[in-house]
Amino acid sequence: MRGTLAIAGKDLRSLFYSPLFWVTAFLLTLIWSGMYHISLGEFAQRANMARMQMQGAEGGPNLHSEVFTRHVALVHFFMILAVAALTMRLFAEEKKQRTFDLLLTSPVTATQIVAGKFLAGLAAAWSLILLSLLYPLATMTIANFDWGPLAAAYIGLMLLVACYVAVGMFASSLTESAVLAVVMALIFSVGIWFVGALSDAVDSPAMVALFEHLSIGNHFSDFMRGGVGVASVVFFLSMIFLNCFLTQRVVESSRWR
Amino acid sequence: MIEVRDLTKSYGQHKAIDRLNFSVNKGEVVGFLGPNGAGKTTTMKIITGFMAPSSGEVNVAGHDVFEDPVEVKKRIGYLPETPPVYGDMTVEEYLRFVANLKGVERARVPSLVARAIEKTSLGDVRRRLIQNLSKGFRQRVGISGALVSDPEILILDEPTVGLDPRQVAEIRALIKELAGHHTILLSTHILPEVQASCSRIIIINRGKIVAEDSLGGITQRMAGAGRVTIKVRRSPPSLAEGLSRLAGVRGVRASDASANGRGHGAIAALHSAFEIETDGGEDAVERIAAHVVGAGAGLVDLRSESADLENVFLQLTSSEEQQNQGVES
Repeated sequence: MRGTLAIAGKDLRSLFYSPLFWVTAFLLTLIWSGMYHISLGEFAQRANMARMQMQGAEGGPNLHSEVFTRHVALVHFFMILAVAALTMRLFAEEKKQRTFDLLLTSPVTATQIVAGKFLAGLAAAWSLILLSLLYPLATMTIANFDWGPLAAAYIGLMLLVACYVAVGMFASSLTESAVLAVVMALIFSVGIWFVGALSDAVDSPAMVALFEHLSIGNHFSDFMRGGVGVASVVFFLSMIFLNCFLTQRVVESSRWR
Repeated sequence: MIEVRDLTKSYGQHKAIDRLNFSVNKGEVVGFLGPNGAGKTTTMKIITGFMAPSSGEVNVAGHDVFEDPVEVKKRIGYLPETPPVYGDMTVEEYLRFVANLKGVERARVPSLVARAIEKTSLGDVRRRLIQNLSKGFRQRVGISGALVSDPEILILDEPTVGLDPRQVAEIRALIKELAGHHTILLSTHILPEVQASCSRIIIINRGKIVAEDSLGGITQRMAGAGRVTIKVRRSPPSLAEGLSRLAGVRGVRASDASANGRGHGAIAALHSAFEIETDGGEDAVERIAAHVVGAGAGLVDLRSESADLENVFLQLTSSEEQQNQGVES
C-alpha cells in the first residue's frame, strides 16, 4: 500500500509540475467555456420563444438534455485526447530514463506499481473533469434544475474516463516511446467505441446481444439519460480491471526478457 | 549472505552467463571483475530480482529471489549502470521517494535521507533539480539512493563510471567506509578499483567464472612469477638451453623479434628474442644477464616485468588460446 502511494504521489507530482497538465487544462477550459456559452445562449433563446408560444403553460426545452448533455459529450470527446496525453509517460518515460530499474528492484509488486500509476493518472484525469463541473455549478446561480440526471451523467463520464486512463496506461506500458504510447492510446480509446458496431456484422442473436452489451455507446447513453444501471457500472469496472490486469502482466513480463 | 548456484541466463543460443556458482559472506566487499560484456550486469540484475534467470538459484539472506522477491528486494540497495534518477525531482525529494518505496519506517525516513546525503557529500545540491546536475553528481545521487534505505547488501554496477579522479577516490573511500556495515558486491572493469576497495575478487569472462580468490591470493598466484624479455644479436643454439637450466627460470620461449612488431626491417631480423618466465626474484634476472653476457650472445635489450593484477586479469580474460598458454607456463 505504501509503495503504491509513493509511486502514485511521485507520478502525480511529476504531472502537476509539468507544463503538459497545465497547458492541457488551459486549452480545454478555453474550448469548454466557448462552447458552453454558445449552447447556454441558444437554450435561453429557445426557452424564451417557447414561453411566448405556450403563454405560461408548463413544459418547454429541457436544460439537461439541451445544455448539460452537450457539455458532457464535449468534455468526453476532449478527455479522450487529454487522457492519452496525460498517461503516455506513465511507463514509457520510466523505461526510457531507466528509472524502471529502480521500481523493479524495489520491494513492491507489479500490481502495486500498476495501482500507483493508475491512481496518479486517474487523479489527474478526474481533476480535469471536476474543472468541467464548474460550468453546471455556475449555471445553478441563474437557473433551478434537477441535479439527479447531471450527477448520473458525471458518474458515467468519470467511469468512462477511468477506462481511458487504464487503456492509456496499458498503451504506455507497451513501449519506451511516449509518442507511440499516445498514438496507441488514442487508437485503443476510440477503437473500443466500434466494438458495439460489430453487432451489425454478426447474424446469431446471441452474438448480437453480446456485442450490444460490449458497446460503450449503449452503456454511456444510459448514464447520459440520467440512469445509473448496475450492468453499466459493472461493464466499466471490468473494462478498467481488464486493462490494469493487462498492464500488470506486461510489467511482470519485463522480468523475463 | 548471497548464494548463487548454477545460474544460467541465455538469450536464444547465446549464453550471457553459464552456470555461475559463488557466494558472498556477510560484511565482505566482493569485486566482480570482467571485461565489458562478460555477464557482470546480467548476474547483478538477476540477484536483485530485476530479471529472471533461465535456470539456477539465487538465495539472499535466506530468501530465494524468485520465491520471495519482496523480502530480498527490501535487503538490497542496487545501483544499475545508469543511475535511476528522476530529473524533475530535487535530490532530497528523490531520496525521500526511494526511502518510501523501499518501505523503511516512516519515522526513520528523514534521518536516513540526511545520512545518505552526508555520506555521498551531496549537501550542497540537496535542493537542486537532478536534471541540472552533472553526470558525476547524478552518479552520486544514484549511489545515495542505493544506500538510503540502509540495506544489508549493496550491489553497485560500475559505481565510479563517469566520475572525475577526485570523485573516484571519494567513492572508493566511501565503499571502504561502508564495508564493515554492509555486504557489498561491486562490478567493474577497472582494476585499481578492486585493488582499492575489495577483499575478494571474482573474475568473470564470457559468462564463466575464471578465478575467484582473495586479493592477496590472486596477486600471490602471480607473485611468484615474472617475465624477462631479452634481445640478442647472435643466438647460438646452446643459449636457450643454458638459460632454461638457470636457477629461478621456469621456461624459455624464443620469439621472433620482427614478427612481434617491435623491430623493423633488416636490423630487427638479425636479432633474436627470448621470453623467459622466472620465479619473479631479482636473482634470476641477474643470473640471466650474466649468462647471456657470458655466452657472448651480444645482448641489446633486457626488460624485466613482474606480473601484477593487470597481467592476471589479461591472462585470465583474453582468448582461450592464450589462457591455455598461461596454464602451461
